[in-house]
Amino acid sequence: MPVFNFYHWSKDHGYTLTGSGPLISVEISIPSALKQHLAEKGLPIPAPQSGFALIDTGAFATAVDQTVFDALGVAMIDKIKTSTPHGEAESPVYPATVSFPGLELKEMPMERIVGCNLKWQTMEGKEIIMLLGRDLLQYFLLVYNGKSADVFLAY
Amino acid sequence: MPLEKELATYARMKADLLKTHEGKFVLIHGEEFCGAYDTAENAYAEGVKRFGQEPFLVRKVLAQEEIYRNQALSLGLIHARL
Repeated sequence: MPVFNFYHWSKDHGYTLTGSGPLISVEISIPSALKQHLAEKGLPIPAPQSGFALIDTGAFATAVDQTVFDALGVAMIDKIKTSTPHGEAESPVYPATVSFPGLELKEMPMERIVGCNLKWQTMEGKEIIMLLGRDLLQYFLLVYNGKSADVFLAY
Repeated sequence: MPLEKELATYARMKADLLKTHEGKFVLIHGEEFCGAYDTAENAYAEGVKRFGQEPFLVRKVLAQEEIYRNQALSLGLIHARL
């Protein structure tokens, strides 16, 4: 089982686990069906969008910043009710292909990603574009060791 | 509003879809029900094949609609600095 170990980051960058949270680099591209469609039509294929995903055990579904889908030109395929402090709202749902270069996990199809405004930068300047929720975490082994500021993620 | 027609079509058909396709992913384009699929991936692939980049709806047929809850995000605690 390949194991991605955040130890090097936590230790070499000042044990930032508490401040930044468990992060993993992520690359988001258009769904393979859309890629094939664009290729057949001779249309340009948008470049993948890169950033970091924050592992979020509190989220049942994975969410990605809306600007990523805007840049990819992917159309929403559904809406989902969202619970906010101001009551219920609706957020768009998008399909995408997700890769985690650090895990050597490439081109995972994901058909139900919630689009919302979540982009921000950590104090170390890492740009968060995804909240990695339990719909993806169900395929991983996650060990969060706050004491030593380590996170182990394996699949 | 994107998918307005498709969502209205789904709402209209929901009771029948629950009887025949509960748990499946349905593909709807405009007022047309295009089929039910075991996975969202298959429904999306069929949607792109038939309609290209035109809007279409892919939804799982469930009695109780899903609600996305993320208290930390909605309360702004995801990137709070204490």
